[in-house]
Amino acid sequence: MAKTVIIVDDSKAVVAMAELALEEMVKSGAIEFKSYLNPLKLLDALQNESENFDLLISDINMPEMNGLDLAKAIKSNNRYKTKPIIILTTESSNEIKMAGKEIGVTGWMVKPFSDEKLVKSIKMVLGV
Amino acid sequence: MGKLKLLIVDDVEDNRLVLRAICRKLENFEIKEAEDGLEAVELAQDWLPDIILMDVMMPKMDGYEASKIIKNLYPETVIIIVSAVTDPNMQKNMSDIGVDTYIHKPIDKELILFKLQSIGASLRLKQGQFKTLSRKNALNPFNSDIRSFRIIFDITDTESMMDFGMWLFDQCASKDVVACGRLDLIVELFYKLMRQGTKNQENLSIIVEESYEEVYITIKFENMIVLEPRMSEILNAFESEFIVQKNILCAKLKKYIEEKNSNFEAQKTTSTKEIVQEIVELKITKEIHTVASKERELLRQSFTQKTTAADYVCDIGGDILDEILDLASLDEEWREKLTTFEEMPNDENLKKFANGVLDVYAHTINSLFEFTALAYALTSLGIFLKEKAYVVVQDPAKTRTLIMLLENLGYDLVSWRKHIFELQDTQDIHYLDSSFFSSCMQIEGIMSNKEIDVDDDNDMEFF
Repeated sequence: MAKTVIIVDDSKAVVAMAELALEEMVKSGAIEFKSYLNPLKLLDALQNESENFDLLISDINMPEMNGLDLAKAIKSNNRYKTKPIIILTTESSNEIKMAGKEIGVTGWMVKPFSDEKLVKSIKMVLGV
Repeated sequence: MGKLKLLIVDDVEDNRLVLRAICRKLENFEIKEAEDGLEAVELAQDWLPDIILMDVMMPKMDGYEASKIIKNLYPETVIIIVSAVTDPNMQKNMSDIGVDTYIHKPIDKELILFKLQSIGASLRLKQGQFKTLSRKNALNPFNSDIRSFRIIFDITDTESMMDFGMWLFDQCASKDVVACGRLDLIVELFYKLMRQGTKNQENLSIIVEESYEEVYITIKFENMIVLEPRMSEILNAFESEFIVQKNILCAKLKKYIEEKNSNFEAQKTTSTKEIVQEIVELKITKEIHTVASKERELLRQSFTQKTTAADYVCDIGGDILDEILDLASLDEEWREKLTTFEEMPNDENLKKFANGVLDVYAHTINSLFEFTALAYALTSLGIFLKEKAYVVVQDPAKTRTLIMLLENLGYDLVSWRKHIFELQDTQDIHYLDSSFFSSCMQIEGIMSNKEIDVDDDNDMEFF
């Protein structure tokens, strides 16, 4: 069964480029791709269980909510506690890494990302 | 205490306003403005300013000519060039006539204040006003109680890197200064950081502050510091105290003081290397979680002080705000020109989009100090599209992708304007800057089939 990959990023361009990069994986039936521009909407959908995911890729700087806060909120729900979250960021600072690690995110990836890197990391995390 | 006289020279009124707003925070400065180089020269003669913030491109007389005349008349006047262009030729010309330092656009408020304070401190020291200096704005995250002067290195090229290297060696070799154990490693670390910065054409500054017992050397990048494996190795190998966070790395070095003085005298005959090894007492803690909360607070204040959209809009004033809100009229043009290109995908229509929309957008944003980086991203995307238009249009699939991505980029800009200028609800007006920048780069990468040039070791990590 296709695994659900959700990307949350306030930038439509980033979401579009991720979708392009994952086109093949979606076509092959390995994954299903969903995207949210507003982290609060995603959080709502996850909390009321109308949404679910196998892997979440989240931006950090979003106007409505910081990606790390989002990850924290999601991880605090038992339903998603063990689900992998990758942080997508332009800042690869130690502080962010440490903060992410504390929250329990699976890893981080810097923007701009190449198609290969995105596909590779998704395959690695999902084991597909 | 006499006030220092600061002259702001810029032909754009908004720029003068922004600079004046920033400089108002300085204590004991009297500020005047000039609208062009000619007026600056006249005011320099009538008013005798101590420091001049000088724009370069101005009508009547440019900043270069004006600086030349003023420096000739009053060599003591400190001239700071404020420019978005880092042209090595211009810099050489400027340094030939004795221009002292640069401030690069987009303006880093903290760094400007820092430079002005330091210059002010240096001028006051010369006037014997040491005791009245302010101790409020330490840059290093270790200690706010520092002596009231600082040394700043603007690292722009090999020469300035050498300056810093020489200074560091001098410090370690001279009598009453820093005890640098394993000096070679410190030099190597700073060298690598400086090289990384200059390679990426960043404006680097190294700022040296002192307390009674310690010296703090802070290297400040414009962007995030990326630690290469070798740098991490050095940091790990050390037992000194280093703090690495976001765009700064700060080293705390103990001075050679008091109880060790006698040792120093006794060992004077041995080599400097042995002495400095003897007095090493340094401890490095790379991980950020070891930084105390007070230090974190200080760091955040110094470097990551976020400007909320509400504060920012309040600052910029009505005229500029109107201009930005007028950009809404470009949204339609953005779509129209893309539609025309979609219907008739030739290079001429793509160039029309780049010229008529991207460039106009970039021009307007460029008038805002805070967003010149954003403007730069748009401008360079425009240049890329104009150059590669004829290649892109030969591939229908690529053309479709480009149209889709540009459409999305347009939406991103609309949303950016909405959050900052209309809703004014973001905590940090720069929330989109780096992401937008990387999107433009990535679009160029997709269009030219180029791998994105990121450091393999540093672009992803799984815990």
